[in-house]
Amino acid sequence: MLTLFERETLNLATLNDEQTAIRVEQLNLAFDKKSVLSEISMRIPANRIVALIGQSGCGKSTLISCFNRMNDFYPQCRYEGKIIIDGRNINHRNENVAQLRARVGMVFQKPNPFPMSIFDNICYGLRLQGVTQRRQLDEAVEQALKDAALWNEVKDRLFDPASVLSGGQQQRLVIARALALKPEILLLDEPTSALDPLTTLHIEELMAQLKKRCTIVIVTHNMQQAARVSDYTAFLHQGRLIEYSDSDTLFTTPRKKQTEDYITGRYG
Amino acid sequence: MQQVAFNTHISGKFNTELENLRNSVLTMGGAVEQQLIDTIKAIRYNMPGLAEKVMLNDAAINSMEMQIDQECLRIIAKRHPTASDLRLVMTISKTITDIERMGDEIERISRLVTKQQLPSSETVKSSMLLICEQVAQMMRGTFDAFARQDEQSALEVYEQDDLIDNEYNKLLSYIVGEIEKNTESMRDWLEILWALRSIERVGDRCKNICEYVVGLARGEDARHSTLENMVKRLKNFS
Repeated sequence: MLTLFERETLNLATLNDEQTAIRVEQLNLAFDKKSVLSEISMRIPANRIVALIGQSGCGKSTLISCFNRMNDFYPQCRYEGKIIIDGRNINHRNENVAQLRARVGMVFQKPNPFPMSIFDNICYGLRLQGVTQRRQLDEAVEQALKDAALWNEVKDRLFDPASVLSGGQQQRLVIARALALKPEILLLDEPTSALDPLTTLHIEELMAQLKKRCTIVIVTHNMQQAARVSDYTAFLHQGRLIEYSDSDTLFTTPRKKQTEDYITGRYG
Repeated sequence: MQQVAFNTHISGKFNTELENLRNSVLTMGGAVEQQLIDTIKAIRYNMPGLAEKVMLNDAAINSMEMQIDQECLRIIAKRHPTASDLRLVMTISKTITDIERMGDEIERISRLVTKQQLPSSETVKSSMLLICEQVAQMMRGTFDAFARQDEQSALEVYEQDDLIDNEYNKLLSYIVGEIEKNTESMRDWLEILWALRSIERVGDRCKNICEYVVGLARGEDARHSTLENMVKRLKNFS
């Protein structure tokens, strides 16, 4: 029989290490004594977009923050279990967290450009890594801004303060800042919730381009966005991973009733 | 209403998905058209082997319908299409049902050859082939109008159904006359009548698709319309 539509058939349960960007094993996390994540085990496939969805407080932002140890900023946070990136458990106490965060970039809900020029924003991480040659920095800035689809809009005003950019431009600047460090993984925590629908579509299209060179994990409250942009979707509820599968399946024929209730707006 | 290009979304992937969806309908349509061409050949040269092949191929057309239906479902669930995109997906969902039924009708016509129940009268056979050729031409025009989203062409194809209906009614009257003359021949004629009915139904299915094309282009439901009304609508819009 003729196959009219080609479908990717990665089986999440049998991904090998080469196909895996992040492997989470029995992750438990608590703030003080309140459990936030319980027994999370999953493999995030490399060069794909994975969406985390669920109600507020279900632990999706906490989970994404585990992937570059942002939760370390909260002294009351305790976690156990393994998160393996590139064969190393990043939860190990000897992990070099600064290097980890260069490899695993993060973009937040609200654009947070530094109070400096567009150029210096992009160079910030590179300079921290010891890159000082002007030519090298120029090239990196141009490439990062092109990758973030912002170059044409700002190439003539690179030394203007970043604060003059619009919300959508600022968010792309922040993505460019993360991309300048050539991350293997990009974490996006509700990156478009403060943006208008058209700018949102531009950022989503940007994500589709970026996944060719890095793995993207996105947290979103917007189920339509998760459906549109992601290859795989994980549904979390009260800190537990309820269902994790390719987005085509999850949004057309979810296996668990809890997922069905949530995505069809019947929950709670 | 202005015609909308389906490849101008910000999301390149969505453009590709809609393009693939449209192309898949044309692939399915092409397959059914080939089925009809083979059936005509099988009738003309009395080739039971070819008719058998047509009957077997129907499973492939059924499979295409299911695949395209699944893709429509997936696009609705994942892309939440609106306005012209939504109309396109819904139109495709209806169109493939008609195409699949065309396949079933053609399979039924082929059965006449495999069961060796072709009319012995050369006059009837020629008339039957003439109707089949007219339907094949109508089918080509239908898929062409669909591919180009051209409501004017769709309307021209729509008109051809009257010719087919005329030929069909003439042949029907002739056969009824033959049955009246010799009632013992009724069983043989009945099989031929069913096949003729199937050919005529293929024309009706083409007409349905033409209505969808007009509806899609104009953004309003053109089903169950008379030809005069459809022409009037087109004039009002252009």
